[in-house]
Amino acid sequence: MDFQSLLKTAPIHPDVLQQSLWMIIALPLLGAFVCGVFGRMMGRANVHLVACSAVAGSFILSVLAFWATSHADAGVPTSVANAFGGAPSRYALWQDLGTWFSAGDFRVNFGLLVDHLSGTLLLVITGVGFLIHLYSTSYMEHDDGYWRYFAYLNLFVAMMLTLVMGDNLVLLFVGWEGVGMASYLLIGFWYTDAAKAWAGRKAFITNRIGDFGFLIASFLVVLLVGAFVKQANDADLQPVASTSARYSAGLEQRGPLTFQGLETMARALPDASGAVKLDTPISSGPLEGRTYGGVLTVALLLFLLGAAGKSAQLPLYVWLPDAMAGPTPVSALIHAATMVTAGVYLFCRMSFLLVMSPTAMATVAIIGAATSLLAALIAFAQDDIKKVLAYSTVSQLGIMFMGVGMGIFWAATLHLVTHAFFKACLFLGAGSVMHGNGDETDIKKLGGLRKEMPWTWVTFLIATLAITGIVPLSGFFSKDAIYHGVHHNHLHGLEWVSGFLYYVGLVIAACTAFYMSRLYLLTFEGQRSPKAKVAHAHESAWPMTLPLVILAVLSVAASVYAFPLLANSKQALMENFLSPVFSAAVGSRGDAGIAKAAGTVALDTSLPSLGSYAMAWATVVAGGLLAAFLYMRFFPAQAGVPAPGFARLIRRTAQNKFYVDELYEFLIIRPVKFLSFVLFRVVDAFLIDTVVVRGTAWVTARVGSALRYVQTGDTQAYAAVMALALLGGVLYAILKVL
Amino acid sequence: MGFFDTHLLNLVIFLPLVFAALVLLLPGSEPGQLRTVTLLGMLVDLVFGVWAYARYVPGGPEFQLEYRVPWFTEFGLSYHLGMDGLAASLLLLTVFLGPLVVMASTTYITHRVKEFHLALLVLQTTMLGALVSLDVLLFYIFFEAMLIPMYLLVGVWGSEDRQMAAVKFFLYTLVGSLLMLVAIVALYFLSGPSGGRSFDYASIYNALLGANQELARCTAAGTCDQLGGLARTLHTWGPVMFAAFALAFAIKVPMWPVHTWLPDAHVQAPVAGSMILAGVMLKMGTFGFWRFAIPLFPVATQQARPVLAALSVVGIVYGALMCLAQRDIKKLIAYSSVSHLGYCMLGMLALTAEGATGSAYQMLNHGVSTGALFLLFGFLYERRHTRLMADYGGIAKVMPVFTASFVIITFSSVAVPGTNGFVGEFLVLLGTFKSNLSLVFGVLAATGVILGAAYMLWMVQKVFFGSLTHRENQFLQDLNLREFSTVAPFLALVLVMGLQPQPFLDRLAPSTDRFIARASVGTPGATVDESKLPIEVQPLPTEQTAAAPTLPSHPLAAAPALVPSTNRP
Amino acid sequence: MVPISYYLFLAAALFCMGMFGVLVRRNALVVFMCVELMLNAANLTFLAFARMRGDSIGHVSAVFVIAVAAAEAAVGLAIVIAVFRSRGSVNIEDIKTMKH
Repeated sequence: MDFQSLLKTAPIHPDVLQQSLWMIIALPLLGAFVCGVFGRMMGRANVHLVACSAVAGSFILSVLAFWATSHADAGVPTSVANAFGGAPSRYALWQDLGTWFSAGDFRVNFGLLVDHLSGTLLLVITGVGFLIHLYSTSYMEHDDGYWRYFAYLNLFVAMMLTLVMGDNLVLLFVGWEGVGMASYLLIGFWYTDAAKAWAGRKAFITNRIGDFGFLIASFLVVLLVGAFVKQANDADLQPVASTSARYSAGLEQRGPLTFQGLETMARALPDASGAVKLDTPISSGPLEGRTYGGVLTVALLLFLLGAAGKSAQLPLYVWLPDAMAGPTPVSALIHAATMVTAGVYLFCRMSFLLVMSPTAMATVAIIGAATSLLAALIAFAQDDIKKVLAYSTVSQLGIMFMGVGMGIFWAATLHLVTHAFFKACLFLGAGSVMHGNGDETDIKKLGGLRKEMPWTWVTFLIATLAITGIVPLSGFFSKDAIYHGVHHNHLHGLEWVSGFLYYVGLVIAACTAFYMSRLYLLTFEGQRSPKAKVAHAHESAWPMTLPLVILAVLSVAASVYAFPLLANSKQALMENFLSPVFSAAVGSRGDAGIAKAAGTVALDTSLPSLGSYAMAWATVVAGGLLAAFLYMRFFPAQAGVPAPGFARLIRRTAQNKFYVDELYEFLIIRPVKFLSFVLFRVVDAFLIDTVVVRGTAWVTARVGSALRYVQTGDTQAYAAVMALALLGGVLYAILKVL
Repeated sequence: MGFFDTHLLNLVIFLPLVFAALVLLLPGSEPGQLRTVTLLGMLVDLVFGVWAYARYVPGGPEFQLEYRVPWFTEFGLSYHLGMDGLAASLLLLTVFLGPLVVMASTTYITHRVKEFHLALLVLQTTMLGALVSLDVLLFYIFFEAMLIPMYLLVGVWGSEDRQMAAVKFFLYTLVGSLLMLVAIVALYFLSGPSGGRSFDYASIYNALLGANQELARCTAAGTCDQLGGLARTLHTWGPVMFAAFALAFAIKVPMWPVHTWLPDAHVQAPVAGSMILAGVMLKMGTFGFWRFAIPLFPVATQQARPVLAALSVVGIVYGALMCLAQRDIKKLIAYSSVSHLGYCMLGMLALTAEGATGSAYQMLNHGVSTGALFLLFGFLYERRHTRLMADYGGIAKVMPVFTASFVIITFSSVAVPGTNGFVGEFLVLLGTFKSNLSLVFGVLAATGVILGAAYMLWMVQKVFFGSLTHRENQFLQDLNLREFSTVAPFLALVLVMGLQPQPFLDRLAPSTDRFIARASVGTPGATVDESKLPIEVQPLPTEQTAAAPTLPSHPLAAAPALVPSTNRP
Repeated sequence: MVPISYYLFLAAALFCMGMFGVLVRRNALVVFMCVELMLNAANLTFLAFARMRGDSIGHVSAVFVIAVAAAEAAVGLAIVIAVFRSRGSVNIEDIKTMKH
């Protein structure tokens, strides 16, 4: 049996595994429950055991599930029937755990889906997650809140798995908010420090702004599906081998927000036959008169807002650097490897919708590029080792967004994976540095660690080279695959974006090389700083170094996936591997794909030429060398000489993050606070409560006290009034009768 | 239906009253006994309430476990009970809160213990009665009677400014409900020709249905000048009567701008008062809209809908903004109620199945999560006797279990998926987007998602996180067993209702469908499921009058024996 | 037969006299007697109409009024005596404590 066929024979048959997909989520959830409720009584070692084995079990199941997705019985790959008619999803496992909630036409099921995309992410999440759990056992060995820590961490893993495995947008949103909640708890883990608790709150609320967009976008999609099913006829759904009756039945069974249903709709939308096309106006409902394409663009832009919140893109990136207040392994897992890539995952998952709107794609790409550049510039001047890494994460996420936005989904996914490896390695390395140096985070006060922490040094170096994009390492290939796609894919009507973004990308690459080299050089090379907290750093224990080594190896090995190693195709491995997922959007062999059908993106499938490789490489090396020159030669030589004014100004501005936080504070937070204060004082307390409510009471009381004087106490006066009233009544009656 | 089924609702309603009589017999100097008996009463009531809820069959007739006997037959008044899905769900919420309220007050209430428990039990009876009465006047009686024990709870056992708050609460709510009484009497006169008039909900609704449909048709065609009969009366007076109902219920909800009684009442009320007020009493407003104001006057609803929906959205955003300006924790929670109840109203006014279901579910959620917030804060208040955020800070360190519970409830309150709040809020927003209200309503309402997180987490941070800033807080005790077992049911329910909402939603679904059908009568162009419109209830038992049909009914004639009829149509 | 209007005029005259007395006399006892006079004027009207209609409803009402008047007199006189005991006067101008 050769290797190829081994890969296609899963040790556990997919039909069997399909029934246990829920356990992948349930295990860490159980771990979280046990650690959170009984953790304090169980003791440290037991908590470690429970938490790590929960994630390890989840990892094993993920491997099996991942393996099973490629299972091919007699050459036919395992697949999931399409409830909406149309082609089944190939290379996928699916489990439906019944209705979560339903009302009216709306329904959400607990449906779990593992295909090549979510399978890849499952491995990353549980794999890197397990390494970080292992690392944490050592990192948190002196902390009293260990049980809380591991409970949160397990909870996070469970939520992230829900995000990735959900087969519909609502379940994805459960994970989406769930990871936000876990991240809130973990950032504010050391809650006695008000600043850290504040950072957690900032992260949650900024994410909530994104979630606001996400929610509205989901509602728009529901409306869109509702309009589509009302308006479309069988001719529309014919190209996807479905009928409108079949599609409605699918909606009734699975609800409007499943990815399968959306994909079927997306495939039916752009073709010429039938009643519904992208520029058809919607015939009824709240969106009446607006075109399908237009609504879709708006929805996608709102999803972008959501993704910008979670993945720290403009304008919502501000929370991520502050999120470094959490323990370092948390930064590695949540704020580098997994959670922050959720936005990229979202767009990859919904690639079939994204490719229908060039406007949305261009916006995604431009936002990504702008964020990436801005973050890279800020990273120049940061002295906190974690802050530099945080900004570099923002920057790398921007690159992924560029890839997603330009329709090169597989490269974005690949970069997501490689980034998870090297960035987790970098963060864990930073954690190791902090652990060995008395929690010192200022790189100016480190230096010369190369000899004192050899394992940390070597893994950090590899990861740095990987992120900067030095040739044989994974970062180079994944980043270059994105750049190549950005350069050669053309959005319909927005052709200028490609070339423009390509050059922006090169600048970003140079910047990345510069600040990463700076970080590495100042931390590990040169002399130990005289201001260091401890005289001699100590290397960390094996639970901390082992994950570093594994991640470093992975960040080298992952480059394999960018090579065109297949015998019968010139596609890169990853591209080929993910093509079942992305074929709806960008097409594959025997499948034109929506991009072509809608004419929105002109895709280019060529491989990068050596020339462009060389150019990218040269840019990076130039950036790195510049940093080396400046920080190893120029600045040490200039010591004592004051820098020129403009340089100090630039530095200060970058150090203060271009005053974006202050801008938000001034433009949004303060006005809202002021507004609420004014409303409370003026409208609520004064106008409504004092003037109207108490005013009524006051008027009543005044009228009463005025009328008091009628009460003379003289019985005969009362009797006289009664008599007169009677007389008046009688007179009135007589006059009426007459 | 056996004897037990027929009388189950009676049992649920009046059990607390029976136990109140028992409490009355006990000596006032034995608080332990008083508490035990009250708790026992609430627990027994819980058992029967759950039983009643379980007996409700979603696919069955609209009103179940019906019980009807003549009362003042001459005035068309009968003692008529029955519950639909919404009433059953709210009934469940009420009996669920009952024992927890007693447990929460164990150490909180130290003087006039006997009277306190009497008030609680009577309050329970009146609330349950209002939920299941199918006679409009009977509903009104329970609805008003509720005020008295609540007035006492706030006014006698409240904190420093209790008198003012109690009077404000009482008068505020009374203003609306007196106008409603006028409208109820007017409805009575519209319900049939002289001699055939009735206060029965079904009779009134069925009598008005034809006229409402006619009115809806003519409103769409713009030919309302030629109307005659009942339709004409409804055309002229319908909006006025709707306004009277709507005002009464809007004050109870409370909707902006008639919400200002709520913060004061909540702030001053003891923990039991706040819990019941937030948990059940506010729902009487939304329930009233759902049961009476909207179905009885669909055309007027249609006219007022943009205004009411706008007020709901204002309530959502405004309530949330108010929270950001508070220093007093209880006031903050009270204003968050204004915001949450805004969602309930908006979902209802969306007139979509999703929105209405979400609204009904949100009523339950709010009862659970806000009730729990008040409960938890009550424990804190008992220890420190201050409501200001500034007097706390960093108490997570000394009260970890308390903090964990509070944070979980907070997540439920800000609608994190997986907790109950999410399902309700999601459905409400979805329903609003799907409705023919402008999208602006949905978008503005969705900003509540952001603001909600902002104020709740701000409060959590101020109170729990940071370093311990006050020496007094250094030795605060964490929750004891009694307190934790009071909180635990809430925590469990938050998760159960978040992860398994469908059983609850299934019981709400028939009510929502009927509500939507009835409310849509006034919507031009809406397709209405005619079969869902008429209300079918048990007829008044007729054995007595059938035996002697020639005898004229006489005011002084002996009341007919109370024999329930079992011949359901 | 005496026409009904005669009875009515008589009753009206009695009523006016009674009312005049109630309004102008100071002595509480006299005021009381005037009230009785007014009640009896009403009785007279009842009886007159009863006779005219030939049924007994008016008689019933008159008897009812007499009963009420008796009760009223009993309570009223008790009050007057109580007032006299506490104030030593039955002049109603002195009994003005129930004012604003």
